[in-house]
Amino acid sequence: MERMSNYYTSVTRRLLLAFFCLCLVPLLAVGWITRNSLRDINIIRLQDQATATVTAQAKVLSQVLKDHINRLTMLVNFLPPSFFEQQGNTEKLFLAIDNRDDIVDLQSIAANGRQYAYVGPYRTQVEGKSYAEAPWFQETLLNGVHISNVFTGYRGTPHFVVAVTNPLKNYVLRATVNSASFNALLLAAQISPNSDAFIVSREGDFQTPSLRGDTTLSATARTLIGAGGSEAPIITDDAVYIARPLAGGRWFFIIKADVADSMSVYIPLHRQIFIVFTILFILALAAALAVSIMLARHIRHADQEYAANSMQFAQMEKMATIGRLAAGVAHEINNPLQLISSQASWIAELLPEEDPAKVKNLGEYTDSVEKIRYHVKRAGMITHRLLGYSKKMAAQQEEVQLNELLNETISFVEKEAESHDITIRRNFVPDLPPTMTDGPQLQQVFLNLLNNALDAAGEKGEVEISTAVSGSNLVICFADNGAGIARENLKRLFDPFFTTKSPNKGTGLGLYISYDITRKLGGSLEAGNRESGGAIFTVRLPIARLGEEALSR
Amino acid sequence: MTEMKKFNVLVVDDEKEFREMTIKQLLHRGMDAEGAENGLIGLEMVEKGNFDVVLLDVKMPEMDGIEALRKIRQAKPLVEVVLLTGHASVNSGIEGMKLGAFDYLMKPMEFDELLDKLSDAFEKRRIQLEKIETAQIKKHMSLPS
Repeated sequence: MERMSNYYTSVTRRLLLAFFCLCLVPLLAVGWITRNSLRDINIIRLQDQATATVTAQAKVLSQVLKDHINRLTMLVNFLPPSFFEQQGNTEKLFLAIDNRDDIVDLQSIAANGRQYAYVGPYRTQVEGKSYAEAPWFQETLLNGVHISNVFTGYRGTPHFVVAVTNPLKNYVLRATVNSASFNALLLAAQISPNSDAFIVSREGDFQTPSLRGDTTLSATARTLIGAGGSEAPIITDDAVYIARPLAGGRWFFIIKADVADSMSVYIPLHRQIFIVFTILFILALAAALAVSIMLARHIRHADQEYAANSMQFAQMEKMATIGRLAAGVAHEINNPLQLISSQASWIAELLPEEDPAKVKNLGEYTDSVEKIRYHVKRAGMITHRLLGYSKKMAAQQEEVQLNELLNETISFVEKEAESHDITIRRNFVPDLPPTMTDGPQLQQVFLNLLNNALDAAGEKGEVEISTAVSGSNLVICFADNGAGIARENLKRLFDPFFTTKSPNKGTGLGLYISYDITRKLGGSLEAGNRESGGAIFTVRLPIARLGEEALSR
Repeated sequence: MTEMKKFNVLVVDDEKEFREMTIKQLLHRGMDAEGAENGLIGLEMVEKGNFDVVLLDVKMPEMDGIEALRKIRQAKPLVEVVLLTGHASVNSGIEGMKLGAFDYLMKPMEFDELLDKLSDAFEKRRIQLEKIETAQIKKHMSLPS
């Protein structure tokens, strides 16, 4: 009935799986959620940072642009138109305003497109040029101000043009600005090493170089410009893009804040969390494994125990059934026995009335009838013993002096023992305290053990009977110098119908009944082998005084 | 054996052969004896008759022996009952004693054993009857009893 070990392995596996799902999966889930929320929080933070930076820097950049425009505007407002028609004046002006080396050239142009004066490095290029058709010229006259896109100009440095016209629109004053300083400002807007900050035109052309070296504008940035006046950032997987318009929408200042960079702040935290979770995971896994294995082992043990107990129980049941069966049979037999007895005693009753002279075999009849009665009595004793009682109630209570009882019992078998040359030795403790118990039943036990001892001792053998006191118990031992009890029989000795004698020499009930009686009287019966050879049976009885009950429940 | 007094026995047992054999043997020994095959009839006979001792088998159809015992003791408390257990366990023997049976015997038993027990029962009855008679006489004569 034992299950295969495969079953328990699968139990272990199933438990482990259960633990895994119950403990480890939530652990992993929590870890995953933590990581994601960190990322989300970080992006919000980055957003705020980018917004703040872009807003601040846009202001600065706008201001720089405004400065340039204002400078020229102030000049055209302050000075009369005629001033600008003079080359010499323009030169003076140039020297005056170029205090930071950011004005490359200065030019004044009449409303009709013809140049009045020019100060700067491109003198030869602009000689005799007419700007009437130039879009920027027209735009300046129209709007009053114009800012061009950046181009690579003199000495390879980035330039852009600022042009204003006077309120009366007589002429245009134009200056080329070196935007290198502009570019320097952008560095301040670079939030992190992988972030970017640059200015692009409305059309998407870089006005300042991408700090990261990009040559084309990303699609996201294009979308951002496309949105025009929208101030909302665009968040992609790897960056937060945010833009602010400059120069009235001609240009856009864009910041691309790198997410990965900002996350790097959390690297130590990430590492800590990872380590903690890994350790927890390993611990949990180890614990789950240990518990699974232990549990499976326990289950296996429990199953084994259960199987063993079931077998034991079945065995006990069998014994009980045999006992009940035997009792049932005994009950059945008592009735016919009674009838035999009645008939026999009737014959015995009537025989004395016969005349011996007239009845030839009267003596035989009388004898036979006596024998019938005797054997019926014997049969009755057997059934009564089997049913667990002698002639009287279940347990009498009388004061019994064991030494005397033993002596009496020995007297029953003395003749028999003598005929086989068996010595019976008595080793009684004098003044053995008496006890309240059932004398006849106890005598039945003693008789049974004594007979067994005599049988075991055999011809010229020795039997020793001893009494003693041990604590609150009386101890009576029956020992013989026979062959002893075989190891494998020791366990079954007190089972009903167990006997080592030949079938017609014993029912196998003697020890069963003796064990039962001893137990009912509150004591115990044990069997064992002596060191010096032979078997020894020990009866223990509690010493019960008058009024006390030594009976077992 | 001492001189046996004569008394009247009712044998209540559903086993016909045992009942008739026992009656035969009792009559042979000089007692009066009659039989009943179950508790109901037994009870009726006790109520109507003049029995000294009842021999009652505890396992019987119609009326369980213990029931019969109860009723008989109720009807005629001075009639002694000896129980026979052969089929029942010892416990019903003890239970019977508690309900007022004089004693109990187990099958199989010797006839002499049975007779001894019945006469012991009768003895008890005789003593009880004597006591009652004495008490009545004293009362009649207004003597302290």
